[in-house]
Amino acid sequence: MSFLHVARRSPRVLVATSRSFASTSRAASQVKASADAVVKKQASQASIPKSSCPQDTVMKGLNYLKGQPQVLALADDQYPEWLWTILSPKEYPDDGPGGKADRVRRKRERQQAIKDKNFMSTQ
Amino acid sequence: MSKAAKAKAQIVRLLIGAGKAAPTPPVGPALGARGVKSMDFCKEFNAKTANVEVGVPIPTLITVQPDRTFTFVTKTPPVSYFLKQTTGLEKGPAKPGHETLATISLKHVYEISKIKATDDQMKHLPLESIARMIVGSARSLGIQVVP
Repeated sequence: MSFLHVARRSPRVLVATSRSFASTSRAASQVKASADAVVKKQASQASIPKSSCPQDTVMKGLNYLKGQPQVLALADDQYPEWLWTILSPKEYPDDGPGGKADRVRRKRERQQAIKDKNFMSTQ
Repeated sequence: MSKAAKAKAQIVRLLIGAGKAAPTPPVGPALGARGVKSMDFCKEFNAKTANVEVGVPIPTLITVQPDRTFTFVTKTPPVSYFLKQTTGLEKGPAKPGHETLATISLKHVYEISKIKATDDQMKHLPLESIARMIVGSARSLGIQVVP
């Protein structure tokens, strides 16, 4: 354990001696922290794709009650996360032989097999 | 719309414009055949839909008892109505699923699903499921949904 301790410490010591100015090492850590923040922001923005509907777009016809104010679009991040996934088929986490993902896959295969059989009976 | 030899409650499904009940063609014969006075129904219906903009189609389910009394339930307007209003479409496509007539955003879908979730038969469903239903309806109407 103590050996690992030493081994872990030594590269840091070497780095500290190679950059002899304390300010540069602090700047390096600051740069790394800001780089981390930028990467995280990009990741969160990538999960919400840029919506084609900008904020405060009027949605016609959705105020069907009398005296209801116009319905406006909100900012992208004010909508729930699942909204951006509903255009693609629902993915279920794989949980073993009898789980939901298995059953959904089997049902789809079964329905497709029936459709194929019905089509082949017309040929 | 069940017809039985014994006395049984009959159900009539109608799509009526809010505040616009009473005309003979759609409402009159459908109710009159079951023995309901259409004026009574129209007065009650117009009173119940007084808070809705005039002309918005309201699906109603009218249950007529054997002794000619009736109760009715109103629901939220159809999804196709909302989609047509938002996109400005008058009619659906000639070939559903093969044509694209308009585009809609996921934000519109979210707002429509919020309205439909207030309906009694949708109350137990998660909002995500309702939103997926609306995406399917949009496909049948020739409306493409983009993020």
